[in-house]
Amino acid sequence: MDPATLEIYRALYTSVAEEMGASLRRTSLSPNIKERRDYSCAVFDRTARLVAQGDHMPVHLGSMPAAVAAAVEICPMEPGDVVALNDPFAGGTHLPDITLVAPVTGNDGKRWFYVAARAHHADVGGPTPGSMGAAIDVYGEGLRIPPVRLVRAGRLDVDTERLLLANMRVPEERRGDLAAQLGAMRTGETRLLEIVDRSGFAEADAYASALIEYSSRRMRARLATIADGTYRSEDWLDSDGAGGGPIRIAVTIEIDGDAATVDFTGSDGQVAGPFNAVESITVSAVTYVFRCLLGDDVPASAGLLEPIRVVAPEGSIVNALPPAAVAAGNVETSQRIVDVLFRALAGALPDVIPAASQGTMNNLTIGGVDPRTGRPFTYYETIGGGMGARPNLAGLHAVHTHMTNSLNTPTEALELAYPFRVWRYGVRRGSGGAGLHAGGDGIVREIEFLSNVRVSILSDRRARGPYGLAGGLDGAPGCNWVIRSGCAPEPLSAVCSIDAGPGDRVRIETPGGGGYGEV
Amino acid sequence: MDPESSVRIGIDTGGTFTDVIVWSGGSLETFKLPSTPDDPSQAILDGIGLALDRVGRGGTAEVVHGTTVGTNALLERKGARTALVSTLGFEDVLAIRRQARPELYNLGVRAAPPLAPPELWFGLDERIDADGSVFRAPSDSDIDELARMLRAFGAESVAVCLLFSFANPVHEKTVEARLQRLGIPVSVSHRILPEYREYERATTVTVNAYLSPRMRVYLERLDRGVAGTGVKRLRVMQSSGGAISAATAAKEPVRTILSGPAGGIVAAERLAKAASLGDLVTFDMGGTSTDVALIAGGRARSTNEAVVAGVPVAVPILDIHTVGSGGGSIARVDDGGALRVGPESAGANPGPACYGSGDRPTVTDANVVLGRIRRLLGGAFEIDVERARDAIDRLAVDMSRAAGEPVTRERAALDVLRVAEANMERALRVVSVERGYDPRGASLLSFGGAGGLHACALAESLRIRRVIVPIHPGAFSALGLLLGDVVRDVSRTVLGRDHDPSSVLDELEIEARELIAAEGIADARVRVERSAAMRYRGQSFEIDIAWSAAAVEHFHAEHQARYGHADRDRPVDVVHLRVRAAGESTPLDLGLASAAAIPGGACPETTTACFADGWRDVPLHERSALAPGRKVSGPAIIEEYGATLVLPNGWTLGVDAIGNLVCDQRETGGTA
Repeated sequence: MDPATLEIYRALYTSVAEEMGASLRRTSLSPNIKERRDYSCAVFDRTARLVAQGDHMPVHLGSMPAAVAAAVEICPMEPGDVVALNDPFAGGTHLPDITLVAPVTGNDGKRWFYVAARAHHADVGGPTPGSMGAAIDVYGEGLRIPPVRLVRAGRLDVDTERLLLANMRVPEERRGDLAAQLGAMRTGETRLLEIVDRSGFAEADAYASALIEYSSRRMRARLATIADGTYRSEDWLDSDGAGGGPIRIAVTIEIDGDAATVDFTGSDGQVAGPFNAVESITVSAVTYVFRCLLGDDVPASAGLLEPIRVVAPEGSIVNALPPAAVAAGNVETSQRIVDVLFRALAGALPDVIPAASQGTMNNLTIGGVDPRTGRPFTYYETIGGGMGARPNLAGLHAVHTHMTNSLNTPTEALELAYPFRVWRYGVRRGSGGAGLHAGGDGIVREIEFLSNVRVSILSDRRARGPYGLAGGLDGAPGCNWVIRSGCAPEPLSAVCSIDAGPGDRVRIETPGGGGYGEV
Repeated sequence: MDPESSVRIGIDTGGTFTDVIVWSGGSLETFKLPSTPDDPSQAILDGIGLALDRVGRGGTAEVVHGTTVGTNALLERKGARTALVSTLGFEDVLAIRRQARPELYNLGVRAAPPLAPPELWFGLDERIDADGSVFRAPSDSDIDELARMLRAFGAESVAVCLLFSFANPVHEKTVEARLQRLGIPVSVSHRILPEYREYERATTVTVNAYLSPRMRVYLERLDRGVAGTGVKRLRVMQSSGGAISAATAAKEPVRTILSGPAGGIVAAERLAKAASLGDLVTFDMGGTSTDVALIAGGRARSTNEAVVAGVPVAVPILDIHTVGSGGGSIARVDDGGALRVGPESAGANPGPACYGSGDRPTVTDANVVLGRIRRLLGGAFEIDVERARDAIDRLAVDMSRAAGEPVTRERAALDVLRVAEANMERALRVVSVERGYDPRGASLLSFGGAGGLHACALAESLRIRRVIVPIHPGAFSALGLLLGDVVRDVSRTVLGRDHDPSSVLDELEIEARELIAAEGIADARVRVERSAAMRYRGQSFEIDIAWSAAAVEHFHAEHQARYGHADRDRPVDVVHLRVRAAGESTPLDLGLASAAAIPGGACPETTTACFADGWRDVPLHERSALAPGRKVSGPAIIEEYGATLVLPNGWTLGVDAIGNLVCDQRETGGTA
């Protein structure tokens, strides 16, 4: 392959994924998508291998290919079709993430590429507004969408759309978000066809494969620099959100030359609560951790994982089978898998690997009826925390780490749109673990409700704090509080759903990062 | 610009040179002085002095200045010791930012340090609600305590950003009034940017506070320096492309942080109009970075989402996209076998290998090896061709290993250019395709020293059929300073409240007219533009639409154009209302000005340069010898002081009446 042409196609394919993302973000309605950037767009070759993915959400890194694979297998597509899915057991992650998949057909009538766009919708039905509550199986988490055609031969299938929207709160917002996703898919298709126009499909296709091989070579070159050996570690989730726990996640990483095996044998079995991760989440976490060893400039293609074998035992917490509840697998368990992987690699790369970051996304969902408009609303957010200290550098304060990088919703945007008043949004000083380099501090966030609401919290690292490394201390665990109007704060559990009224407040204190090195 | 002034001077401070352009009696003259980074005002005052010497003193002169004082203070973090006052509970707004890290996969990621240090973050117990009503008023004793703390902690400047001050500024006004007695600059957010989103408003007003003491000293020094020289007015270009008085710039320096680059865009806008050039994509390639922008329908777009030196700045800034790719970008083969160009740059020191001290191959070295750059700054600067060849030869060895076949020096050099051009193409796509604009109907306007080497090849990749190298390409930003209007922008967020847009716009217009009158612009010359930032209910990003009875319909059409879909059944919200008052400048007659400077034709020399099909003899033209009406067919090289244009095979060049070089790709042209 020609080194210059390879580089040029790298820029071209990556820019397609980024342009799809820009289009989606600017036209969507859910705060999750437009403000928090909880979405991913990706380009696949004609055999459904990932060629490029925008730098949007790390938790989607390894799981977008599963979506395309499931669509191709279950719901074969004709030109002009678009398939929608959110089934965690058929290409999805957790139910609020709705993924669209479409083929891109060339002027020869053949399949040239696939494009996919995933977005976290504010609600997909189920008993808890926001569809992020603690259920005991997937049926209790909202509407499950196996791969189905949302667009047939270029025309929206209004029957399918009607069925989906009838099962979701705030259907007009869902409709707008799906339109934004479809717009992003069109952007991707148009741009890919333009790329082919330059030098023909044969070259574009050959270089799509070359890019995958390129990522694989970069990963192999990096793995070869790590000392051969077996590196083990374990860490725990506090609870399963249904009375069980703690839950053990264990890993054995074997580095052998320029390849690696990542084996989760020894992890606990799947649980009754929503902390189960489907296999694609685990693959995402592995991809994320190893990509961090490479740096930002390697394309997120199928090649990244080519030299890495992932073993995730079926029926375990890292490869749950139906009908497990999975809402927190994506947002919580994925973070712990990352913690375990880094802790193992710290044995091999002590000068590179950071102490544990907050290890949770502190998911907060609030639903009710806005007294100003009489309309129902659901609001979902995740809250940043402390970043773990690095071997040569303190951790950042009050930031999203590892598997997420979503933005906050500005307080002024929040209060304009919802009947809340935010009282505090500050750094939780002293929560980072002490060390030669200190862990970053978490966040304190306190929100007052101006109407009757249902509040759900999905969080972790409430019992044991994020680990320090090399003698650095653990970060402080997080805590959740409810402050009833005129009363003293009462503690809330890590996973809970409560009713609250006007004047009541919820306060969330997020974990600090672990410290690095002895003080 | 004021029509009464007999002399107009535009001065643009750059890293190496300060460009001066003087208009007087219908003729334009440009020259360069070395910049004086320790005290930029020195080169400016020298430049004004030289300019007045050339055109004769005695008349009245007006100066418009493009400054880098603000940008550099931000980049080097050399501003005032600044305090930030927020609503109690939100003191840490600068620490939390938007809660995201700047790089996803970098374990050593760092965050740009906040402009105000943490010990100077203060919370004030007060609250305005989302509808603008007062929920809790601040107490005088709290504000007095705050004043004591500000003094005790040695604040040199203070920024105030309270929640919902855009909806009701009463608390910010109270704080502002009571802090005046501290005798330090007080910047309040509702005056700088009365729009929602507290983090971006806070960073914007903090930038203002951070820069204002330094900017005030600088502009006062300039003002004293020009006293008695006949300079009647001293103005500063804003990042939005309109000028303001030095006095306003001293109070609101955040509006000047992209002052110089804005000049180039204004020049492009005016030239597009004067020479009927249609839509333009501007391309300004320098040594370490490249700036690109889109001018559609005669206007550059402006953005409120700029990030400068790691800090969001939400005042209107011309939508200029910068990438770290320039002549000094270093080429290497990475461990996956791809040829990478940049972002690492050889900068000015050691500079490209051909400058004589570096040895890593750069884009400039590739151009030297291919015979496209023969000398720098008209021969004032010697280039080391052998050193450039050695550097490219070493790269060719690495490329041969990656490709599994021998790669010649020439192929390596050509490939460096292809990759560099792919990087720049991506930047151009960001300002065009990603903004919903198809660049194929536009022309590529290339200025800056290195742009002409790549413009035609880049145009071919983007399927742009015309490249224009304007008059004065080396002093183009300075030219724009001469041509810009005096502009004041005012805005207000109206989302969530029941406002009649027309009456709010009437109020804003009164405010804008007062502000522009204070700039010394007679009312008769003021042009007022009203616009509304609109979005579908529930969206987060607005589109600016000129205000009219049909604004909503225009919004649907613009949404369709940019994003490929629109929904006429969906409710549309007006988020911000904006009024711009512009004091129109008198158009300069660019045609007269430049034609006079161009002497008659001369015979070209011949030089040898390498293209994709190998080495060949090509004509080498001196630009000053190309008179209006002249035609040149590619391949050819056109040199002028500080810039080189490569005209590939398949392209023809004509010189228009003003003196712009207009290059067109022939319908069946090949690629060079």
